Amino acid sequence: MSLGQSLIRVGTEAKVRGETRYGFDMPQAGDLHLACVRAPKAPAKILSIDPAPAMTIPGVVRVFTAKDVPGEHRLGIIAVTRDQEFMAPGWVRQPYQCVALVAAETLEAARAGARAVQVEYDNQPGVYSFEEAMAPDAPLVQPEHAGGNLLRENKIKQGDTEAALKDAAVVVEATYTTERVEHCALEVEGGRAWWEDGRVMVKACTQNPHYDQADLARFLGVEENQVRVIQAETGGGFGGKLDLSVQPFLALAAWHLKRPVCLRYSREESIRATGKRHGLWMHFISGADEQGNITALKARISGDTGAFASYGLAVNQRAAVHATGPYRTANVDVIARMAYTNNTFNGAMRGFGCPQVALAHEAQIDAIAAELGLDSFDLRKQNALRQGDHTSTGQLLRAGVGLSACLERIEPIYRRWQAELKHTDEYLEGVGVGAMFYGIGNTGASNPSTAQVQWMQNGRVTLFTGAADIGQGSDTALMQIAASRLGLPMERIDLCRGDTDKTTNAGATSASRQTYISGNAVMGAVANLEMQLLQGARDMLKERHLEVDLRGGVLRTADGREIEPAEVVRHLAKSGARVMGEGRFDPNFTALDPQTGQGRPYAAYAYAAQCARVRVDTASAMVKVTDVAAAHDVGRAVNPRSVQGQICGGVVMGVGMALMEEYEQGRTENLQAYHIPTAADAPNITPLIVEDPEPSGPYGAKGVGEPALIPTAPAIAGAVSQALGRPMRHLPISLERVMQALTAAEGETDCED
Amino acid sequence: MPLKFTLNGNQVSLEGVPGEATLLEVLRQRLDMLGAKEGCGVGECGACTVLLDGKAVDSCLTAAWQAAGREVTTVEGLAQGDELHPMQKGFADTGAVQCGFCTPGMILTALDLVEQAPEPSEQQIRRAMSGNLCRCTGYHDVVRGVRRGAKYLRGEGEEQ
Repeated sequence: MSLGQSLIRVGTEAKVRGETRYGFDMPQAGDLHLACVRAPKAPAKILSIDPAPAMTIPGVVRVFTAKDVPGEHRLGIIAVTRDQEFMAPGWVRQPYQCVALVAAETLEAARAGARAVQVEYDNQPGVYSFEEAMAPDAPLVQPEHAGGNLLRENKIKQGDTEAALKDAAVVVEATYTTERVEHCALEVEGGRAWWEDGRVMVKACTQNPHYDQADLARFLGVEENQVRVIQAETGGGFGGKLDLSVQPFLALAAWHLKRPVCLRYSREESIRATGKRHGLWMHFISGADEQGNITALKARISGDTGAFASYGLAVNQRAAVHATGPYRTANVDVIARMAYTNNTFNGAMRGFGCPQVALAHEAQIDAIAAELGLDSFDLRKQNALRQGDHTSTGQLLRAGVGLSACLERIEPIYRRWQAELKHTDEYLEGVGVGAMFYGIGNTGASNPSTAQVQWMQNGRVTLFTGAADIGQGSDTALMQIAASRLGLPMERIDLCRGDTDKTTNAGATSASRQTYISGNAVMGAVANLEMQLLQGARDMLKERHLEVDLRGGVLRTADGREIEPAEVVRHLAKSGARVMGEGRFDPNFTALDPQTGQGRPYAAYAYAAQCARVRVDTASAMVKVTDVAAAHDVGRAVNPRSVQGQICGGVVMGVGMALMEEYEQGRTENLQAYHIPTAADAPNITPLIVEDPEPSGPYGAKGVGEPALIPTAPAIAGAVSQALGRPMRHLPISLERVMQALTAAEGETDCED
Repeated sequence: MPLKFTLNGNQVSLEGVPGEATLLEVLRQRLDMLGAKEGCGVGECGACTVLLDGKAVDSCLTAAWQAAGREVTTVEGLAQGDELHPMQKGFADTGAVQCGFCTPGMILTALDLVEQAPEPSEQQIRRAMSGNLCRCTGYHDVVRGVRRGAKYLRGEGEEQ
């Protein structure tokens, strides 16, 4: 059985050979190249667009503007906030929004053409922060939106928080902030489109091919089957390739010109034009009794979603739902608010608001421990969600609550590091802890996946899935699940993935959902396939009451006969039937009450605990994260090496979020200015897998993609706080912030807030 | 004058290569060698790494004409038919490959390293690989991959 084995991922050989073709590795001779004309400032009225100077450049074929969009201008991943205009129709809402698109015979001509297009703007007053957006009489970013500049307010109300805070033995209150973060997948967005048999074909990097198809059809004003989307091999996504990027431009040009076209963003264009992780402002007031049991949380969270909603609703809701962290909290009053501004839009990035709130809930528990003179690790164990507890949305956790097990796994490491701590004149050391829970899949909403498994006449089996593998390893995980459920070796399974002509909707590769949700769809497809094979065997043998089952990839009758399934498949083929099992899975959920936020938003939760050890150089203020131990309850590790790979990747992305990453418009717009961790910055990592099976998961599996990142930055912040002897509540913990803290410590002044 | 150099052991001769063309552009656009990737275009990410006379260089910052008369190795030149190069095998066997976009550059940088240090320490590996960015792996398995590849190159077998 391949489940639970660290098989080398499918596609690895092509990748090490350099043969894998990503979105922009496909241009062919004769392709037209595209280039976007982008607005320098927002908001602005577009007074005029003159393509004539561009058309004089040899090789320029056409300049498109909003007038050339045949369908709907406003697209977006969440249907109720479809508000992103890929070709600004008369009005620029965010900087670098595309106002015109140039198609040319060469890349050089396309870029020259884009520079030559004359656009006249009339700059307008805008809003550039949550506070400005919410001011009375603030200019509206999206006048069509019913709530003014307020995108959404999410509330979680449970118990009587004011009374509980009044009765608490200790109350801690602080403000935390995080900044915007760029996904920085190594592959920048790229793809190709062409015209074939009266349809538009788009092959590009993406995390969600079926969503792309639906929105591109809307953009072109055609039926969905007029657009075929094929996921190109995708070089990382982390949420940044959930929104459309190059696809609408490719589709529009191919639609009009009936010629193959290609487009690839430069790194600068990728950073400027695509979504970011939201920076959040978080004010937390927590109460606990004398024993350190958390009794109440009052939290106010606000964020700037930029000019387009993208996944803003999801981030806001998830931040609210996860604000307590993975700790029993009977009295909860959380209000999270998200506003539109004229900044570049923010959207999904690995964790949807949870990495941000984790900074706050982890620092709060450290603060409670400090106030009470208790051990902060013990306090985490004491308050950790367990089976039978309720979350802040009132959801009963019935099973698969592996947080205590995660804490137990890292505790000896944490204790040893604490015992080894050194402070010298040259450096200060500290150790910190981060814990988290994370709901798998979309919040309080249907998010089904579908899959098919077909047994071929030659005895091989093909798995059909719309789930985009973007490097995280879902291809291999889903094939392992199928192979194990069928009792076949992996070598007998073929994969057909991410093509809207050949596969059905699996939903987005987001919310750590593919192993759990698409894995369950695959389980269902195999069960359905099995039923067809058993029926087929009875039909073939003309024994209506034959007792038969599928074991080890072979049909076995109760009286000891063995039948190759392919024989049955060939038998059924004579009557024109194929043997293809269909599976569908939608997690069990209830929508959250809009007033109280109560409900069962997710069917399953992942849990994790990490600890980090840091060394702060007192002269340079450099922080080095030397070690991280990361324990993750994944339910069941379908491919342990893949799980460890996800954990290590998440940890290092967390190091970046904690110490160095901040998107500043106009400043950190390439990799010389926007720094992500290198091999030299990365800590030694001890990935630890905890398996507390989720009853509703395929073989007990949950997910790990986002959980891998969430506890890291809080653990590092806790470690630096310990090293410096003062709380570090603002990310990134930059050189400047550390230097300030060191200086303040010398001057014995009050803490930074 | 044609630009001539050795690419993965074969002589190439190209007419009309402009002075400002980068080696990356020539490899990808003229020679259809797509293993070298452009991740940033400014020499920060290392996805475009190739070997020039055995030394790892960012091909996005290297003028194509700098390769004149010299030997260029890209990832496509490593495997011998069905047989992967030991460093490719090291990366594959350790799970050092996730999305794979940075992998060709990583493997070539690792080859430059082990040429100088056949048995590199973890610190040597981390320092050598620090010009090749990866957003997926956290470098944990990349370090293991380089180690394993170096081991295979030394002929020390395939045990875990």
